[in-house]
Amino acid sequence: MGSIPIARSIWYLPHVATTQPGTIHLDETETKVDLATPWNVIVHNDPINLMTYVTMVFQRVFGYSRDRAERHMLEVHHKGRSLVWSGGREKAELYVHQLHSHQLLATLEKAES
Amino acid sequence: MTGLRITAVDEKTIEITGIAPVLSHCIFQLPEILRRRESPGIRDRFYQAAQPEDAKVSAEWREISTPELHHLYASAEETVLRDLTGLAEDTVRFPAVHLPAWLTALNQARLVLGELHRVTEADMERIDLDPGAAAKDGALLQIHLLGVLLQLLVDHAQATG
Repeated sequence: MGSIPIARSIWYLPHVATTQPGTIHLDETETKVDLATPWNVIVHNDPINLMTYVTMVFQRVFGYSRDRAERHMLEVHHKGRSLVWSGGREKAELYVHQLHSHQLLATLEKAES
Repeated sequence: MTGLRITAVDEKTIEITGIAPVLSHCIFQLPEILRRRESPGIRDRFYQAAQPEDAKVSAEWREISTPELHHLYASAEETVLRDLTGLAEDTVRFPAVHLPAWLTALNQARLVLGELHRVTEADMERIDLDPGAAAKDGALLQIHLLGVLLQLLVDHAQATG
């Protein structure tokens, strides 16, 4: 993926309006919120994907230890979903894309502040 | 399929041996199964939205991610189908660098079958399959058989890093 999709809040940062020399006015308050609010990467249960396959994908995508990857896999299996990573939106989008490329059901959610 | 084995012939080559005729039959159906990936009703499983509750964001996401995913899926499919031309009797060898393609192609095939037949968690637990009587049972058998091979390949990938 050449560029990360959807992270408009980050892409929009350079598009600022200057009202007077030396003053930068951020005209999108949402931008500030988006940068401060973590985003959660959620993996959802799927009846087909093998448990070992899901564990392997977590290890490869996030660099998790086998134990940690298995804990998330079991949480997905038993509870239907697992919050597998939380942080900046751009990186969260990259992770979701990688999970999709391994055919895991994954979504992005804004963390509750 | 107790004889099914994955072996590293050397650093650059993987060999699958002991492929039972029933698994071989499933493997040869991979092109037909994977072709269904792009069918309406199945396609959405492979080209997901990151934020399904937001239609606009989902459309943007799909616009950007779909071409790359399509290329990745098609490339894995082509790689595996090319490797399968070397399948002789119960054995096939392929370059170790193709292992990720095998993992994703087999996983895709299982998911396509699952979507086609609306397979549920309960279906996956069934042991009373009658492939001759119901298409869904045949699909479940294929999912399980391909799963055995996928499981061994995952184990091999994990063992070899």
